[in-house]
Amino acid sequence: MIETQWITPINTMMLASISILLYPLMADTLFKTSMKMQARTAVKYAFFSTLATLIMFINLGMEINTTHINLISSTNFNVGLSFKFDYFTLMFCPTALFVTWSIMDFAKWYMAHDQEVNKFFKYLLIFLLAMLTLVSSNNLFQLFIGWEGVGIMSFLLIGWWRTRGEANTASMQAIIYNRLGDIGFILTLAWTGTNVASWELDQLFMLKPFDTLPLLALVLAAAAKSAQFGMHPWLLGAMEGPTPVSALLHSSTMVVAGIFLLIRLHPMMEDNELTRTTCLLLGAISTFMTAMCALTQNDIKKIIALSTASQLGLMMTTIGLNQPNLAFLHMCLHAFFKSKLFICSGIISHNLSNEQDIRKMGGIHKTMPITSSCFTIGNLALAGIPFMTGFYSKDAIIETMNSSTLNLGALLLTMAATVMTAAYTTRLIFLVQTGPPRHYPMQKITEDKTLSNAILRLSLGSIAIGPISAMTLDQTQTLPTTVTTLIKLSALGATMMGIFVSLIFIHKNKQNRPQKNNLSTFSNMLTFYSSLTHRSPTTHLLKKAQKVSTTLNDATWYEYSVPKFFSKTQLKMSKALSFLAQGKVKTYLAVFTMSLMTLIILTT
Amino acid sequence: MHPSITSLLLIALSTSTIITMSSYHWMFAWAGLEINMLSMLPLISKEHHPRAVEATMKYFMTQAAASAMLIFASTINAWQTAQWDISLLTPSTPMMMLTLAITMKLGLAPFHFWLPEVSLGTTNSVMLIITTWQKLAPLAIIILLHNSLNHHLLTSLGLLSMVVGGWGGMNQLQIRKIMAYSSIAHMGWVVMILPKAPDLSLLYLMLYIMLNLTMFLIIISTALTKLTSLFSTQNKSFPMMILMALTLLSMGGLPPMTGFLPKWLILQELIYQHQTQMATLASLSTLLSLFFYLRLVFNAFLTTPPNTSNVTKNWRNQTNHHILLPQMMILSLMLLIITPLVISLF
Repeated sequence: MIETQWITPINTMMLASISILLYPLMADTLFKTSMKMQARTAVKYAFFSTLATLIMFINLGMEINTTHINLISSTNFNVGLSFKFDYFTLMFCPTALFVTWSIMDFAKWYMAHDQEVNKFFKYLLIFLLAMLTLVSSNNLFQLFIGWEGVGIMSFLLIGWWRTRGEANTASMQAIIYNRLGDIGFILTLAWTGTNVASWELDQLFMLKPFDTLPLLALVLAAAAKSAQFGMHPWLLGAMEGPTPVSALLHSSTMVVAGIFLLIRLHPMMEDNELTRTTCLLLGAISTFMTAMCALTQNDIKKIIALSTASQLGLMMTTIGLNQPNLAFLHMCLHAFFKSKLFICSGIISHNLSNEQDIRKMGGIHKTMPITSSCFTIGNLALAGIPFMTGFYSKDAIIETMNSSTLNLGALLLTMAATVMTAAYTTRLIFLVQTGPPRHYPMQKITEDKTLSNAILRLSLGSIAIGPISAMTLDQTQTLPTTVTTLIKLSALGATMMGIFVSLIFIHKNKQNRPQKNNLSTFSNMLTFYSSLTHRSPTTHLLKKAQKVSTTLNDATWYEYSVPKFFSKTQLKMSKALSFLAQGKVKTYLAVFTMSLMTLIILTT
Repeated sequence: MHPSITSLLLIALSTSTIITMSSYHWMFAWAGLEINMLSMLPLISKEHHPRAVEATMKYFMTQAAASAMLIFASTINAWQTAQWDISLLTPSTPMMMLTLAITMKLGLAPFHFWLPEVSLGTTNSVMLIITTWQKLAPLAIIILLHNSLNHHLLTSLGLLSMVVGGWGGMNQLQIRKIMAYSSIAHMGWVVMILPKAPDLSLLYLMLYIMLNLTMFLIIISTALTKLTSLFSTQNKSFPMMILMALTLLSMGGLPPMTGFLPKWLILQELIYQHQTQMATLASLSTLLSLFFYLRLVFNAFLTTPPNTSNVTKNWRNQTNHHILLPQMMILSLMLLIITPLVISLF
């Protein structure tokens, strides 16, 4: 029984929470100091507001679509401002806002000495608004607005320290890779615009079966935004930005936008086997390769970025298994512990005078107890240790995969990736925190109260949210409930194996000698992907473009085809005729005779 | 030359043309042409230098061969049709040979080789006679017989001449040779429209004679020989150069001047008879001759020559120009507006 009296509160509170985020942006210019609001406060209020709507939704199971204004209205095609508050939106918004709240607490400490700290917070807020637009939109156009918005803000935030060359390059790289995905998105927009004459999600879901072209284009868009294997370099370069940016954008919210798109548009993809297989295999390769690369990295932020890419691959695999709800669950739970990992790494490195190399850290658990505890909790959650948060979604995914009849290769790759995840998380725990301190001796190590509260909140989320959300999961597809014991224990077994192997290697290589074998180099150099694809194809393309524009267009059309061609031919003919007029009468009489003969023969 | 000899030769020249034009019997036509040729010969070699003598010999050989072929053609025709009249005859081999003979006399391609050589050998005034008066007699014969001649042959000869005149003239530095090649090209126009509308070819001939006369009068007045001598002519007689430029543009067929009139009417006639490709080819070939006309204009006063002029610029330009020049100028530049009258006359 739908109780319609609840429509207004849910609607109002969601829209209010989105609107409250606008207030700090405008207050600075419009109002006096007393009426200003800090960004963190706005996010906190928005979080509580959306939490209330989530609770209302869990109670009632009510999903709302509202349409407000018609932005474009033509004969058969209307595009409006419309919001869809369904399970995905209502679950994602509190998660994102909670995580953002903690990150803003952290950012206040981290960016304290920055001169443009206010602008930083405003950028984060604009990003958050774009993300919320993305998740709450009911038509593809509004989703695209959010999509592009998060891309632009990612660009601005990665290149925050704009005097640094690597930051500028990294932000340009992020834009370029995201643009490749936008090609796919715009293709989908064009296809649906012309064939379905609508961009509303409800209307799109009514048209079945869908053609393969727009679906593959969507997969391309998601692959670029969510850093799947062919388009992952930008995520690693995005670590040039400040740690709050990495925590917010490139772990929890922006990179999951691609996965979110696929989850939202899953009803379109259900029947198309090619799309599902593409997602499956792409995700499997992605998770395997990035986990392999994370094994031998030495920069703490890069390790965590690669683990993000690995988990995104896992989410993509889940979509390929036709389980969008599991993917969404993993997405939300992953946000908690991944952002916590980034924040902890930020605290650790900032305390050690911005040292990011894990070979130069150590002995943290005595000097920064809260941070290191939270760091350990986050790592364990990431590895999928039983009954931490990560376990609930990750285990479910692996169980589903093991009991499905799909691709064996994807299965094996994902299991291998699980092993490697456990391995590198163990490596992180031990190298960063234990052992004698390998950092410079004179460090000013502080742990702010607000800061500790932030990561403690996230730790609570990392431990407790798992069971709660798993119980309230919107079950539209039946999960396998009966599997054999071996399959049930396979995920756990893989994790344990990873931990043990990693411990063995850590104890063996206490001296941390550099490795000399090829596999280690392959993994350390990030599978040489950037070296292969960033230089030679682009150089060839640019050279070809130059050749076309100067040789074909410029020289050929403007010089050779008309002016020089004519001058050459006329000159040749003229010279030939002058050659013939030699002044010898014999020639003339010969011409006369020949012509006479020819014409006599021809005319008779 | 002694004036009595010159006058005798000129009288013979004019009489012979009139004999040919008014003849009824083939013998008389041939006789007229022969007297024409013979009276030209001393005029060409008037200056007695080797080049003039060589030019005379070449002229004699080609014209004699042409006349011989003409009388041969008429003899075969008399043998086949038992009549010596210059009247409507059927198209056949004799007519084709006749066409070739006239072509040689006129200096059309592919028998045009003698014209540039002769133009270098004689004086400017004799060349004027060759390019204007000498065209009248052969064209009279061919216009009288226009119905019996092979259309394709005439058209192709015409086009070939236009093209040869265009390309041949591009590689020349001597102004007399340039005028010879331009004569070849213009004769091509005349012969091309002959099978379809002989009135127009007559019109073209008349206007061509007018323009050619103007041009040659300028050349005679300023004693131009080479292209490089154009460089310093603007210092001596600037108005003459301007008028030369306008005359050359008129010869190239550009609109506000008279030279546009015959070309326009010919092209219109060709299109009315559905010969659009021919019209296109003719227009494109005329561009070639326009190029070297413009080259003359360019060298006359559009560039600064690399040599210094050894003449102080005359403040008052006094030129000994021919008495006919002003009238011819007006005729060659301003006659376009009487086109309707011309159309009704022809």
